Amino acid sequence: MVKGKSTVMATDKPKNIFVQGPISPVFIADSIQKHSNKTGIGAHNIFLGQVRADTIEEKMVTAIDYTAYEAMALEKMHQIREDIFAKYPLTCMHVYHSLGRVAAGEISLFVFTSSARRRAAIDACSEIVERLKAELPVWGKEIFDNQTHQWKENTPNG
Amino acid sequence: METTVLIFGQLTDITGAAMLECMAVPDTDALQQQLHQKYPGLAAAKYVIAVDKIICHQNTVLRAGSTVALLPPFSGG
Repeated sequence: MVKGKSTVMATDKPKNIFVQGPISPVFIADSIQKHSNKTGIGAHNIFLGQVRADTIEEKMVTAIDYTAYEAMALEKMHQIREDIFAKYPLTCMHVYHSLGRVAAGEISLFVFTSSARRRAAIDACSEIVERLKAELPVWGKEIFDNQTHQWKENTPNG
Repeated sequence: METTVLIFGQLTDITGAAMLECMAVPDTDALQQQLHQKYPGLAAAKYVIAVDKIICHQNTVLRAGSTVALLPPFSGG
Protein backbone atom coordinates (compact mmCIF):
# COMPACT_ATOMS: atom_id res chain seq x y z
CA MET A 1 0.00 0.00 0.00
CA VAL A 2 1.31 3.40 -0.94
CA LYS A 3 1.06 5.79 1.94
CA GLY A 4 0.23 9.31 0.91
CA LYS A 5 1.38 12.46 2.62
CA SER A 6 -2.03 12.74 4.31
CA THR A 7 -1.61 9.38 6.05
CA VAL A 8 1.73 10.44 7.43
CA MET A 9 0.53 13.82 8.65
CA ALA A 10 -2.79 12.82 10.19
CA THR A 11 -2.84 10.79 13.35
CA ASP A 12 -4.79 7.53 13.55
CA LYS A 13 -6.82 8.64 16.52
CA PRO A 14 -9.39 11.32 15.63
CA LYS A 15 -8.33 14.68 17.00
CA ASN A 16 -10.77 16.42 19.30
CA ILE A 17 -12.25 19.56 17.75
CA PHE A 18 -14.80 20.43 20.44
CA VAL A 19 -14.39 23.14 23.03
CA GLN A 20 -16.87 23.94 25.78
CA GLY A 21 -18.43 27.36 25.30
CA PRO A 22 -17.20 30.15 23.00
CA ILE A 23 -13.78 30.20 21.30
CA SER A 24 -11.87 33.13 22.75
CA PRO A 25 -10.04 35.65 20.54
CA VAL A 26 -6.97 35.09 22.74
CA PHE A 27 -6.96 31.39 21.86
CA ILE A 28 -7.11 32.35 18.17
CA ALA A 29 -4.22 34.81 18.56
CA ASP A 30 -2.17 32.16 20.38
CA SER A 31 -2.84 29.68 17.57
CA ILE A 32 -1.46 32.16 15.04
CA GLN A 33 1.58 32.84 17.23
CA LYS A 34 2.37 29.11 17.45
CA HIS A 35 3.08 29.05 13.71
CA SER A 36 5.85 31.64 13.74
CA ASN A 37 8.54 28.95 13.85
CA LYS A 38 7.09 27.18 10.79
CA THR A 39 8.84 29.40 8.31
CA GLY A 40 7.89 27.34 5.25
CA ILE A 41 4.43 28.81 5.60
CA GLY A 42 3.66 31.80 3.39
CA ALA A 43 -0.12 32.02 3.87
CA HIS A 44 -2.67 31.49 6.60
CA ASN A 45 -6.40 31.49 6.03
CA ILE A 46 -8.85 31.72 8.92
CA PHE A 47 -12.60 31.31 9.02
CA LEU A 48 -14.45 32.39 12.15
CA GLY A 49 -18.11 31.67 12.68
CA GLN A 50 -19.84 34.17 14.95
CA VAL A 51 -23.29 33.72 16.51
CA ARG A 52 -25.64 36.13 14.78
CA ALA A 53 -28.41 37.92 16.69
CA ASP A 54 -31.13 37.10 14.16
CA THR A 55 -34.60 38.51 14.72
CA ILE A 56 -37.34 36.00 13.96
CA GLU A 57 -40.96 37.08 14.42
CA GLU A 58 -39.94 39.87 16.79
CA LYS A 59 -37.84 37.56 18.95
CA MET A 60 -34.10 38.01 19.00
CA VAL A 61 -31.53 35.21 19.14
CA THR A 62 -29.40 35.77 22.25
CA ALA A 63 -27.35 32.55 22.10
CA ILE A 64 -26.95 29.21 20.37
CA ASP A 65 -26.74 26.02 22.40
CA TYR A 66 -24.64 23.47 20.48
CA THR A 67 -24.85 19.70 20.89
CA ALA A 68 -23.16 16.99 18.84
CA TYR A 69 -22.91 13.28 18.33
CA GLU A 70 -19.29 13.70 19.30
CA ALA A 71 -17.91 10.25 18.48
CA MET A 72 -19.40 10.32 14.98
CA ALA A 73 -18.46 13.95 14.39
CA LEU A 74 -14.82 13.29 15.28
CA GLU A 75 -14.65 10.29 12.94
CA LYS A 76 -16.21 12.35 10.16
CA MET A 77 -13.85 15.25 10.80
CA HIS A 78 -10.91 12.83 10.65
CA GLN A 79 -12.11 11.73 7.20
CA ILE A 80 -12.49 15.34 6.04
CA ARG A 81 -8.99 16.09 7.34
CA GLU A 82 -7.51 13.17 5.39
CA ASP A 83 -9.37 14.19 2.21
CA ILE A 84 -8.24 17.81 2.52
CA PHE A 85 -4.59 16.90 3.10
CA ALA A 86 -4.72 14.55 0.09
CA LYS A 87 -6.23 17.28 -2.10
CA TYR A 88 -4.29 20.42 -1.08
CA PRO A 89 -0.60 21.05 -0.29
CA LEU A 90 -1.25 22.25 3.26
CA THR A 91 1.28 22.64 6.03
CA CYS A 92 -1.31 22.79 8.84
CA MET A 93 -5.01 22.51 9.44
CA HIS A 94 -6.82 23.24 12.71
CA VAL A 95 -10.55 23.07 13.41
CA TYR A 96 -12.37 24.02 16.63
CA HIS A 97 -16.12 23.97 17.21
CA SER A 98 -18.02 25.06 20.30
CA LEU A 99 -20.35 22.90 22.35
CA GLY A 100 -22.82 24.28 24.86
CA ARG A 101 -23.94 27.88 25.01
CA VAL A 102 -22.37 30.57 22.84
CA ALA A 103 -23.83 34.09 23.12
CA ALA A 104 -24.57 36.31 20.11
CA GLY A 105 -21.35 38.03 19.06
CA GLU A 106 -19.13 35.21 20.29
CA ILE A 107 -17.14 32.79 18.12
CA SER A 108 -18.37 29.20 17.71
CA LEU A 109 -16.23 27.95 14.81
CA PHE A 110 -12.54 28.44 14.06
CA VAL A 111 -10.97 26.91 10.95
CA PHE A 112 -7.30 27.66 10.32
CA THR A 113 -5.29 26.46 7.30
CA SER A 114 -1.70 27.24 6.38
CA SER A 115 0.32 26.60 3.23
CA ALA A 116 3.42 27.80 1.41
CA ARG A 117 1.29 29.79 -1.07
CA ARG A 118 -2.13 31.33 -0.56
CA ARG A 119 -4.34 29.41 -3.02
CA ALA A 120 -4.20 26.10 -1.13
CA ALA A 121 -4.89 27.69 2.27
CA ILE A 122 -7.84 29.72 0.95
CA ASP A 123 -9.46 26.92 -1.08
CA ALA A 124 -8.94 24.27 1.60
CA CYS A 125 -10.40 26.52 4.30
CA SER A 126 -13.59 27.16 2.29
CA GLU A 127 -13.97 23.48 1.49
CA ILE A 128 -13.54 22.48 5.15
CA VAL A 129 -16.20 24.99 6.27
CA GLU A 130 -18.69 23.80 3.63
CA ARG A 131 -18.05 20.13 4.38
CA LEU A 132 -18.25 20.39 8.14
CA LYS A 133 -21.51 22.34 8.01
CA ALA A 134 -22.99 19.65 5.74
CA GLU A 135 -21.45 16.52 7.24
CA LEU A 136 -20.79 16.90 10.97
CA PRO A 137 -23.60 15.73 13.27
CA VAL A 138 -23.80 18.99 15.22
CA TRP A 139 -26.98 20.86 16.12
CA GLY A 140 -27.57 24.45 17.13
CA LYS A 141 -30.53 25.44 19.24
CA GLU A 142 -31.25 29.15 18.91
CA ILE A 143 -32.25 30.65 22.26
CA PHE A 144 -34.51 33.70 22.04
CA ASP A 145 -34.72 36.65 24.41
CA ASN A 146 -38.11 35.39 25.68
CA GLN A 147 -36.50 32.03 26.67
CA THR A 148 -38.21 30.10 23.86
CA HIS A 149 -36.08 28.30 21.27
CA GLN A 150 -35.96 27.03 17.73
CA TRP A 151 -33.56 24.61 16.07
CA LYS A 152 -31.21 26.22 13.60
CA GLU A 153 -31.03 24.99 10.02
CA ASN A 154 -27.96 25.34 7.85
CA THR A 155 -28.33 26.77 4.36
CA PRO A 156 -25.76 26.68 1.52
CA ASN A 157 -25.22 30.43 2.10
CA GLY A 158 -24.44 29.93 5.77
CA MET B 1 -32.10 -8.09 22.28
CA GLU B 2 -32.05 -4.51 23.45
CA THR B 3 -30.94 -1.74 21.15
CA THR B 4 -29.70 1.63 22.36
CA VAL B 5 -31.04 4.54 20.35
CA LEU B 6 -29.42 7.96 20.66
CA ILE B 7 -31.65 10.94 19.92
CA PHE B 8 -30.29 14.33 18.84
CA GLY B 9 -31.29 17.92 18.11
CA GLN B 10 -34.95 18.79 17.60
CA LEU B 11 -35.91 15.10 17.90
CA THR B 12 -35.26 15.30 21.65
CA ASP B 13 -38.17 17.79 21.82
CA ILE B 14 -40.38 14.93 20.54
CA THR B 15 -39.01 12.03 22.60
CA GLY B 16 -38.20 14.01 25.74
CA ALA B 17 -35.05 11.90 26.14
CA ALA B 18 -31.62 11.74 24.55
CA MET B 19 -31.42 7.96 24.83
CA LEU B 20 -34.02 5.21 24.39
CA GLU B 21 -33.91 1.43 24.68
CA CYS B 22 -35.87 -0.60 22.14
CA MET B 23 -36.66 -4.28 22.54
CA ALA B 24 -36.57 -6.97 19.88
CA VAL B 25 -35.86 -4.98 16.77
CA PRO B 26 -34.12 -7.06 14.10
CA ASP B 27 -33.46 -4.18 11.71
CA THR B 28 -33.76 -0.42 11.28
CA ASP B 29 -37.17 -0.63 9.55
CA ALA B 30 -38.63 -2.50 12.55
CA LEU B 31 -36.99 -0.03 14.91
CA GLN B 32 -38.43 2.91 13.03
CA GLN B 33 -41.89 1.35 13.08
CA GLN B 34 -41.69 0.83 16.85
CA LEU B 35 -40.47 4.38 17.46
CA HIS B 36 -43.07 6.00 15.20
CA GLN B 37 -45.79 4.13 17.03
CA LYS B 38 -44.55 5.33 20.39
CA TYR B 39 -43.70 8.87 19.24
CA PRO B 40 -46.04 9.85 16.37
CA GLY B 41 -44.18 13.19 16.07
CA LEU B 42 -41.12 11.31 14.82
CA ALA B 43 -43.01 10.04 11.77
CA ALA B 44 -43.41 13.63 10.56
CA ALA B 45 -39.86 14.69 11.47
CA LYS B 46 -36.95 14.77 9.07
CA TYR B 47 -33.99 12.59 10.08
CA VAL B 48 -31.55 9.92 8.96
CA ILE B 49 -30.53 6.80 10.88
CA ALA B 50 -26.92 5.95 11.72
CA VAL B 51 -25.90 2.49 12.90
CA ASP B 52 -22.56 2.45 14.72
CA LYS B 53 -21.86 5.98 13.44
CA ILE B 54 -22.48 5.13 9.76
CA ILE B 55 -25.53 6.66 8.04
CA CYS B 56 -27.81 3.95 6.58
CA HIS B 57 -29.32 4.51 3.16
CA GLN B 58 -31.48 1.37 3.35
CA ASN B 59 -32.86 -1.10 5.88
CA THR B 60 -29.98 -2.39 8.00
CA VAL B 61 -29.77 -5.50 10.20
CA LEU B 62 -29.04 -4.71 13.86
CA ARG B 63 -26.61 -6.82 15.84
CA ALA B 64 -26.37 -7.23 19.60
CA GLY B 65 -24.72 -4.10 20.94
CA SER B 66 -25.38 -1.97 17.86
CA THR B 67 -25.81 1.72 18.62
CA VAL B 68 -28.45 3.44 16.57
CA ALA B 69 -28.71 7.21 16.31
CA LEU B 70 -31.48 9.39 14.88
CA LEU B 71 -29.94 12.45 13.24
CA PRO B 72 -32.08 15.45 12.23
CA PRO B 73 -30.64 17.92 9.65
CA PHE B 74 -27.24 19.17 10.84
CA SER B 75 -26.77 22.78 11.88
CA GLY B 76 -23.22 23.13 13.12
CA GLY B 77 -20.90 26.05 12.48
